[in-house]
Amino acid sequence: MMTVHLEVKKRKNPYIPIEADEIIPKNFINKDQELFVWRGNRKVPLEEVFLKRIEGTASYAKEIEIVITGESGRIKRVGEYMDAGAILIEGDIGMHCGNFMSGGTIEIRGDADAWLGREMTGGTIVCRGNAGDYCGSGYRGEKKGMRGGTVEVFGDAGDFTAEALAGGTIVVHGNAGDLCGAEMKGGALVIHGNASRVCGNMSGGTCTVYGTVADMLPTFAYVGTTEDPDSRTALTEFAGDVANRGKGRLLVHSFIRA
Amino acid sequence: MAELLIKNACVIDPINRINGEMMDIAVRDGMIVESVGPAAAVIDAGGALTLPGGIDSHTHICGTKVNFGRYMSPEDMRAGRTTRRGEMHATSGYSVPTCYGNSYRYSAMGYTTVLEGAMAPIGARHTHEEFAHTPLQDAMANVLFDGNWGIMQAIRDGDQDRVAAIVAWTLAAAKGFAIKLTNPGGTEAWGWGKNITCINDRVPYFEVTPTEIIRSMIRANESLNLPHSVHLHCNNLGTPGNYACTLGTFDLVPDLNDKRQTLYATHVQFHSYGGSTWKDFCSKSEEIARSLNAKPQIVIDMGQVMFGKTTTMTADGPMEFNLYRLHHNKWSNHDVELETGSGVVPVTYRRSNLVNSVMWAIGLELALLARNPWQCILTTDNPNGAPFVKYPEIIGLLMSQKYRSKIFATVHPQTEHRTPLQAIDRELDWYEIAVMTRAAQAKALGIIDLGKGHLGPGAIADIAIYPIQIKDIDPSKEYEQVIRAFQQTNYTIKGGNVVSRNGYCTGTSHNTTYWVKPEVPAALDLDHDPEFEKYFQLYTVRKSNYIVQERALHLNRCIETEASL
Ligand SMILES: [Zn+2]
Repeated sequence: MMTVHLEVKKRKNPYIPIEADEIIPKNFINKDQELFVWRGNRKVPLEEVFLKRIEGTASYAKEIEIVITGESGRIKRVGEYMDAGAILIEGDIGMHCGNFMSGGTIEIRGDADAWLGREMTGGTIVCRGNAGDYCGSGYRGEKKGMRGGTVEVFGDAGDFTAEALAGGTIVVHGNAGDLCGAEMKGGALVIHGNASRVCGNMSGGTCTVYGTVADMLPTFAYVGTTEDPDSRTALTEFAGDVANRGKGRLLVHSFIRA
Repeated sequence: MAELLIKNACVIDPINRINGEMMDIAVRDGMIVESVGPAAAVIDAGGALTLPGGIDSHTHICGTKVNFGRYMSPEDMRAGRTTRRGEMHATSGYSVPTCYGNSYRYSAMGYTTVLEGAMAPIGARHTHEEFAHTPLQDAMANVLFDGNWGIMQAIRDGDQDRVAAIVAWTLAAAKGFAIKLTNPGGTEAWGWGKNITCINDRVPYFEVTPTEIIRSMIRANESLNLPHSVHLHCNNLGTPGNYACTLGTFDLVPDLNDKRQTLYATHVQFHSYGGSTWKDFCSKSEEIARSLNAKPQIVIDMGQVMFGKTTTMTADGPMEFNLYRLHHNKWSNHDVELETGSGVVPVTYRRSNLVNSVMWAIGLELALLARNPWQCILTTDNPNGAPFVKYPEIIGLLMSQKYRSKIFATVHPQTEHRTPLQAIDRELDWYEIAVMTRAAQAKALGIIDLGKGHLGPGAIADIAIYPIQIKDIDPSKEYEQVIRAFQQTNYTIKGGNVVSRNGYCTGTSHNTTYWVKPEVPAALDLDHDPEFEKYFQLYTVRKSNYIVQERALHLNRCIETEASL
């Protein structure tokens, strides 16, 4: 087993964004491999931004855990294309964490910025704090969002959560923002709190909201009421989005029409 | 006084009828001169093929629909990334790259001049801003007039002078270069949920036909003495059997200009289809080429399709809707107020697909069956048929039957029953390729007199030196070397400055936008015409904001013409 400790160094100008897509477990199998990050428009060695300390050895990515500490809230693209192993982020993490991820686990103890788990195909992301907008979505212009794996957010999630979701599961324990599940094509979106205008133009998949949906869209057909087996709460089931001849399922605890 | 001497150049310069002569080229202050002094900087071409800078007379690289293609396709933006290097900016995108991406890639291939094929006047400002950031090419833009309400009204009223007046005013307002008609009348019909199937259908409400629009615009073009001819994207693009419509359109064209063609028909590959459905779809390149060969007043460009991913974009909104229904891919469609429309759809052309294979063959057939290379220009309608970075492969295909056969063996097996390509043994030579990639463009656009497209004294020093010795190589066998050579110059020189060296580009060039300002008699000046003002009550912008001011342009050169009205 190997643990890679990456501590973000104090920065003179913390507002310059850092792109760190090379921070994935498999890149540390060879301890001497030179890795780089982008600081603004400059490519710099990883060690210029992070204090690196490695314990143990590993022959496979799955035996590696990366632990990121310090002011990491503006560090983007950590875990992009990650396929195995683990990343633990003690604080906050910047945008696009876990883009295109296919395996392994990422745990964020703080908040995640926008685009968490964008277009991921497998693996698990756990965010203990809040997630920003577009969690588990596709990038602008992309036909499909997340296609597989699991994202669990214990705090709130932002607008457009699970936009174009095509597979996998997204669970938000807090509230989610506006237009969540828009263009959903498959997979499951579960929101334990409230949300608004959910699932516009949905064509497939299932979205469950245990709180209240504000500005409920008029283009969903009433199906009936069911009792949720886990929480034993009554849910109203809709099918839609009928404007798109969609075959999605939308289950809500309560809703307010726009 | 900056002087440069290019020694030992193997020059092909069709406009000056130079075919493979070893010579020196002298440059002073950005212009080609007879001779320079002993202090001149020297580039030794070492016998390498040296051509005038390449000119693309129909491409889509700047403006609103190009930008829409960029932001609807993040996968395309990821496909062609390059990082910052020296003076080169970072770039991204493959079929619709960023401005710098387009500029560097064209420059590496020796291109120094480009014409944006379709600029809606109301979006002109955006196009000009992108021109400013396309630093290694001079640029000009076709202005879309295919659904212009004022013009259709004037045609209906039989007021030919007013047609010319609106063209003159709009070209100068948009800082455009030439008249573009995209599916004339069809995009306006699309606004009513309809299309135009051929040249004698009537446009809803305006009750004019494409025939009337094309004839009237040709007359207006020639009465304004514009450098370029009318630039036409025929009706009914991309549908089986449309070749008949194309032939009918060609038959409308009189021969009115002794310096150049009277009609430039663009991406004719997309308009040379036989059959009645996609099931019996076939090539009609022979019929189209026969018509072209009999009509020196027409110049076409190929609109070659190459296999792979790309993005289609055109002002032809209804056509893009049909394409969307075929592919069910992402689709964007725009209504552009009182003048035109547009659509964008990403596509992949596949060898395993019979229709795509036939399309691929048709473009090549047109180039091989057109007897006069001055009448058939090499394009892909970038990026509609393929991104322009495929031009070198097309050159290879045109120069080598062996290469064509090799690719033919990989396409859909039914292709040979639908196209005559395998029966054509013509192989184009270096001179013909030089015509089809720069000289014919300069002539067709009417910019030879501005010093474009040739290497004679007085010309602008736009020069491309390719790493190939044409005397030592047989392109029909060694096509791979030909392709490689055309992919990257040793030197691309623009306005006397080296702008690209072995693919490494510099950010410095005095890239200039060419635009046209026709002088019309005071009675036809629409600046204070109350009837014309009325249209601007229907636009979302005021007339004063619609006009692109000269100061909004980068370096620019205005071509003033004297109208014969
Ligand atoms: Zn075009």
